[in-house]
Amino acid sequence: MIERWMQAQTPDERTLAFLQNFFLVIAAFGFVFYGVEHWVIDHQTLEHWSALIPGWMSIIGAPLAIAMFFSTHRALTTVFVVAMALAFATGMVGALLHLVWNANDLGVSLFSISGFLESMQVPYRPVLAGLAHTHVGAVGLVVGLTAWVKD
Amino acid sequence: MIAAFRAATTNTARALEIVRMVLLFLVWGGLLGYALELYVIGHWLPTFQSQIPFYVSIPGVVFIGWVFFDRRTPWVRAAFTVTMVLLIVTGVLGAYFHWVWNMEDAGGIDWAFTPAMKHFHGFRPVLAALAYTNMGVTGLACMYRAR
Repeated sequence: MIERWMQAQTPDERTLAFLQNFFLVIAAFGFVFYGVEHWVIDHQTLEHWSALIPGWMSIIGAPLAIAMFFSTHRALTTVFVVAMALAFATGMVGALLHLVWNANDLGVSLFSISGFLESMQVPYRPVLAGLAHTHVGAVGLVVGLTAWVKD
Repeated sequence: MIAAFRAATTNTARALEIVRMVLLFLVWGGLLGYALELYVIGHWLPTFQSQIPFYVSIPGVVFIGWVFFDRRTPWVRAAFTVTMVLLIVTGVLGAYFHWVWNMEDAGGIDWAFTPAMKHFHGFRPVLAALAYTNMGVTGLACMYRAR
């Protein structure tokens, strides 16, 4: 991506490359940041095996995002796009699992408004926080899917 | 954004507008989502500062929606830029005050490393507030060099 920015010829190419690099920084930072945050809050020590998924997503996503600064080789970009799609899905599934487990812990039904709202308010298992990975994945996907654009 | 996308004559120009539109749409959805989440978790308290995230969401949603259809009008661009800067400031101040209030609840402000880090993980999530900063920065970036 850096090379793409340096070789840009037209104003549009320069702006596109700038935005791709900028959002790649956000994606890379997001993976590192959420990885550290999950580690700090001991997410990996939770009983269910799926608690390891966000950590693994960061371990895979961060180096791939950083590598994209230095190469947009077709193979690397393909792996990056797949990883970003996985990160996107990880966030969605994470939010859903948080919601379902909150409802189970509280003994309420998610198909009632009061049960749904109660399940959303459990502080130690935040439902929408899971979507952080969806956000990072979406930003990465935008970068990856436009990485080969040429006139 | 939409007009610029439709007027784009090269692949690069089309990709540029797609990047802008997708990421601005994420910010737009984020503003609505965070406002909903903050309301559900009871962030709307009888204090002005607890309501700030809701107030900044209103111009945020309005002006992001507006620039999808019109990004040429100077006052709209200015209002959009001011709103994004407000989001950035809101996030930074939110993180700072969450941290300070966590310390105050525990008996007093102490910026020494160990107690500060302990209260960093207090009742009020410090880093969560930075979501607003992220949205503001993303919004500004999307409008960078948008003619």
